Amino acid sequence: MAGSNVKRRGPATTNRISAYLLHHLQSLIFSLGKIYQAPATTIMTVAVIGITLSLPGGFYLFLKNIDAMSGDFRSSSQISLYLDLDLSEKRARAVEKDISGMEQVESTRFISRDQSLEEFRQNSGFGKSIDTLSSNPLPHTIIVEPIEADTFAIRNLLNALQAMPEVEIAKLDTEWLERLYTIIEIAKRSVMIITILFACAVLLIIGNTIRLDIQNRYQEIIVTKLIGATDAFIRRPFLYGGVWYGLLGGIISWLIVEIGYLAISGPLERLNLLYQSELTLITFSFHDFIILITSSTLLGLAGSWIAVARHLNQIEPS
Amino acid sequence: MIEFHNVTKRYEGGYEALTNVSLQLADGDMAFITGHSGAGKSTLLKIVALIEKPTRGQALLNRINLNTVSRHRIPYIRRNIGVIFQDHQLLFDRPVFDNVALPLQIQGYRPQEVAKRTRAALDKVGLLHKEKSMPITLSGGEQQRVGIARAVVHKPMLLLADEPTGNLDPVLSREIMQIFVEFNQVGVTVLVASHDLGLIDELDKPRLTLNRGQLILNDLVDDAAETDDGW
Repeated sequence: MAGSNVKRRGPATTNRISAYLLHHLQSLIFSLGKIYQAPATTIMTVAVIGITLSLPGGFYLFLKNIDAMSGDFRSSSQISLYLDLDLSEKRARAVEKDISGMEQVESTRFISRDQSLEEFRQNSGFGKSIDTLSSNPLPHTIIVEPIEADTFAIRNLLNALQAMPEVEIAKLDTEWLERLYTIIEIAKRSVMIITILFACAVLLIIGNTIRLDIQNRYQEIIVTKLIGATDAFIRRPFLYGGVWYGLLGGIISWLIVEIGYLAISGPLERLNLLYQSELTLITFSFHDFIILITSSTLLGLAGSWIAVARHLNQIEPS
Repeated sequence: MIEFHNVTKRYEGGYEALTNVSLQLADGDMAFITGHSGAGKSTLLKIVALIEKPTRGQALLNRINLNTVSRHRIPYIRRNIGVIFQDHQLLFDRPVFDNVALPLQIQGYRPQEVAKRTRAALDKVGLLHKEKSMPITLSGGEQQRVGIARAVVHKPMLLLADEPTGNLDPVLSREIMQIFVEFNQVGVTVLVASHDLGLIDELDKPRLTLNRGQLILNDLVDDAAETDDGW
């Protein structure tokens, strides 16, 4: 419309594109310079973002560890088969052989009636009372170790074993595992809610910081508008400012979580030794780190975008 | 270049800053707007600089209707105008060079080009040796010259100045006005609002005199065009 009437005296188009990229770079560095010039404000803002993000970050890491641990439990789920009381030991061992040949079975272990009674006598402390029994009340037992599989496959195996005529009771002690999984599921959703809430908090923190930044540079915005700056040109340094806040906040939150991890890893290793368990604490993977940093940076961009959209248009020369 | 047809500007609250003002300023002209304070000089300049819109009437800049120009076009139109303010409007957080270079950076000139043109503009106002100084360390006259350098660095077609000599002594004022005359001599259209009548008389340029928002003297129209006023 007006372009035909107003003769453009600006630089040539090819230069414009490189100049556009150049201004992006300038805004990036300029906004970093602004941050550097006001270290106290920046450190406070970035610290608040870091602490805020470290909470969902820490919870996430905690869950990741619980998940890994429960994976250990899953792989160690055993099925106990209590055979018919009348079954002879020879017959029972034959059953064990059959079962160990099944394809979903990793290994089996046979515990005879006499072994069971002996173990019980030694471990339970009821030795004397057992001696008063006229006959051995314990059946032959086969411990079946399924190959690693999901709960559904293990359930199928359990049903197949239960259906065998020689088997009195087939028992898979998974109830507590299922409860654990449910608890983990609840925890996961809670972490999700916490993450969303804290992400909103970060959005507000960055939005407010950028809003103050816009107010502080009111005069500069007016002057640049008067000499022909587009909204995009004025917006750019503020958006990059938000990006920097988000990025630095993300790095701080990562540091906080890593330091927290180091602080508890010592006692945990001692606990490991005491229990002779093979649990090792998992920390952020590189993948997790990238996700954390990327999302905090995007939050920074979104927060500053909100502030810029709300406040920059209201500033007009008068 | 500039055309006003019965332009009226009424601010919120009912104050009428301009009433039925019609004028034409041709390409390459230079004119002064005079009048007592509150006569509407600043409002007239603000309409040309797209800071205010007319309440009634039509304002054209290079045949662009300023009443209806869309928001996103405004920056591009402003790039053809250089504006000089009484209070300089310099940015005090950066040196003189960066202040003057700003219009070029906004328009996306390459750094070498920016440096070349910025130094040329500073040289023109005699402040090349001050390019690294911070504006706060400069005198009022020097600050005003930095403002002028910033307004002309991108070679605008139109130069607007609102009381550019308002805070300066007569010698400095004469110098500043002389700079405007020189720009006009190389083809830039210049419109200066000033109440410094003595200085204006010396320069022998057409005058537009405003009184309470009405144009009471217009040196730019000859008698033939005068009938246009009554419409």
